[in-house]
Amino acid sequence: MSSSNLQKALTQIWAFLFKNWIIAKRNVFAIFEILFWPVVGFFSVGLLTSFLELDSNKTGFILVGIISMSVIQVCQIDVAYVLLYDLWSKSLKHTFIAPVQSFQLILGSWLIGVVRSFFVFLLLSIFSSLAFGLDFLRPGIGPLVLFLLGLFLTAASVGMSVCILVLLFGYMADVAAWSFSGLISLICGIYYPVFILPFPFPQIAQAIPLTYFLAYFRSFYGFNEGFKNVLAWGFGLAGVYIVVEAFLFKAVLQRARRTGVLIKLSE
Amino acid sequence: MALAIEAEGIFKTFRSGWWKKREKQALKGIDLQIEEKEIFGILGPNGAGKTTLLSILCTLLLPDRGNVHILGMDSLYDGHQIRKRVNIVSGNANFLWSLTVKENLHYYGMLYGLTGKERGKKVEMLIDIFNLKEHQNIPFDELSTGMKQRLSLAKSVINDPEVLFLDEPTAGLDPDVSIRIRREILSIHKERGITILLTTHNMKEAEYLCGRIAFLREGEILAMGSAEALKRMVRIGDQIKIEFKGTIPEDELVRADGVINFTISDHLCEIIVDEGEKRLGMLVAMIAQSGAQIKKVTLRQVDLEDVFVEFAKGTDSDMGLSV
Repeated sequence: MSSSNLQKALTQIWAFLFKNWIIAKRNVFAIFEILFWPVVGFFSVGLLTSFLELDSNKTGFILVGIISMSVIQVCQIDVAYVLLYDLWSKSLKHTFIAPVQSFQLILGSWLIGVVRSFFVFLLLSIFSSLAFGLDFLRPGIGPLVLFLLGLFLTAASVGMSVCILVLLFGYMADVAAWSFSGLISLICGIYYPVFILPFPFPQIAQAIPLTYFLAYFRSFYGFNEGFKNVLAWGFGLAGVYIVVEAFLFKAVLQRARRTGVLIKLSE
Repeated sequence: MALAIEAEGIFKTFRSGWWKKREKQALKGIDLQIEEKEIFGILGPNGAGKTTLLSILCTLLLPDRGNVHILGMDSLYDGHQIRKRVNIVSGNANFLWSLTVKENLHYYGMLYGLTGKERGKKVEMLIDIFNLKEHQNIPFDELSTGMKQRLSLAKSVINDPEVLFLDEPTAGLDPDVSIRIRREILSIHKERGITILLTTHNMKEAEYLCGRIAFLREGEILAMGSAEALKRMVRIGDQIKIEFKGTIPEDELVRADGVINFTISDHLCEIIVDEGEKRLGMLVAMIAQSGAQIKKVTLRQVDLEDVFVEFAKGTDSDMGLSV
C-alpha cells in the first residue's frame, strides 16, 4: 500500500472515530453512559461489600467484576453506535455508498470506545482505591495492560455482534446494544465464580473470553478458579471471535445489499 | 461516446414475511445504456421500481439476475472501486442529526479518504458554492428541508464523482426551492461534466433536466428517448380548439395533413394534430376560406405530463402530477 493510500485508509478509520466522538460530545445521555451509570453501579456494589463486611480479597473480586463490566459496556456500545447512529439518523445508505471497508468502520469506533472506557476505568479505579482500598496496580502494569486489552477485545466482539444483528434485523436489534453485555456479565461471573452457576452455564462461560480475563486478574487477588493458560484461552477465543465476526459482518452486509435492508433502514 | 452506465437484463424480486413467501417483482429485465456526461431520467409512478433500479446501479442493492457495469467496472465484483467514483442524492435527505453542516461534510469527506488540508479546502468550497455559509454550524436536524437538500447536493460532489445518482431530489420541497435545486443540478452537470441519473415522478423536472428519459412501469421500461420523441411516441397529439360560426368543411379536415382526429359540436371544433404549431396556420386558413367565422383559437400542446398519464394507464399509482 502506498503512503497516500495508507493515509486515505487511516482517514477513513478516523471518520468513524470523529463521528462517534462528536455525537457523544453533544449527547447528554453519553455523560450518563460514562459517568453516571458506571459510578452509580460501582458505589452500589462497593457499599454492599462494606455492609456484608467482606474481606479485602473478596471485595477486590467483586470490584474487579463491576469495573470490568462498566469498561466492556462503554467500549462495546461505541462499536455498536457506529451503525446505530446511522440507523437512527436513517443515513445508513450514505455510509455504505462510500468506499469504506467494514474493518475501518469497526476499528474507528472501537478506538473511540477504548478511549472512553479507559476513562471510565481510570475513574472507577481511583474511586475503588479511595473508597474501598482496592489497588488496581497491585498486579503490576503488565498484567493490568493485558487485562484491559482483554476487556477491550471482548467489547469489540460484543459490539460487532450488535452490528451484525442490526444489519440482520434493523431496529428490532438495537436493544441488543444494552442487553448483550448484561447477559455476558451473568454468565461470566461478574460477582461470583462461574463454577457456582448451574449446568450448562459454567461450560458456556468457558467459551467466553471475559471469563478467562477475569480469572487472570483475580488471581492476583488470591482467587484461583482452576482455569489453566487463562491468557492464551482469553486472547485465543477473543481473536477467533473477532475474525469470525469480521467475516460474518461482511456476509450480513452483502446480505443487506441483496435484500434491500440498507435501503429500507434509510427510509 | 463511452458508456458510463450499462445494465443488461436486470431482475429484482423482494421477499417479505416470516417465511419470505410474499414476493414482489420490482424489476423485470431492465436494459439500459447511459453515455458519459448524459443526464438521464427515469420517470414512473410510485412503486414502478425507480428507486430499486437506481439503488442497484449505485451498488447499494444487488440484482437477482443481470449485469451492471459502471464506468466499465462490473458492479458485482468491483463495487468498492465503483463507490470511489460515484455518489448519491436522495429526496428526504438524511444525515447524522446532531452533526452540523460543516461536520457532516467533513465526515463524508473523510469517508472518501480526503485528508487534512485537502478536505478543509473542499468543505469550504462546497459551503460557498451551495450557499451554506450561514448554516454551516447548525446541526442537521435544525435545517429546513431545502437546506438539507442543499447539503445533500454538496455532500454528493465531495468526492468529485464521475457518476451522480439523484433519487427524487426535489421530493417534498416547495416549488421555489425545487427550482433552485434543479438549477444547482444543472450547474453541477455543466461545470463538472458528470453523468447524472435521475429518478423522478415530476414530468417538468424530467423535461427540464434530462436529455433522455425512460418510462418505467411495474418494473419494465415502456419507452425511452428524448422528451420530444416520447411525446411523438404516444401519438396523443396537440389539440387545436376553434370556436366558430357557420359551417366547417369536414371532408377537407379529414384530408388535411397532420390531422389525427377531430370532433365538431355546437360551434366548437376540436382537432388533434401531430404538431400543433406547424398545422395551426393551415387549418385556420382552411376554415376561414370555407366561409366560417372564427371567434377564438386555442392551441394546447401535448406535454410530458400527458405522456406520463398515457404510459401510467393501468397502474393504481397516485401519480404526482404537480410541479
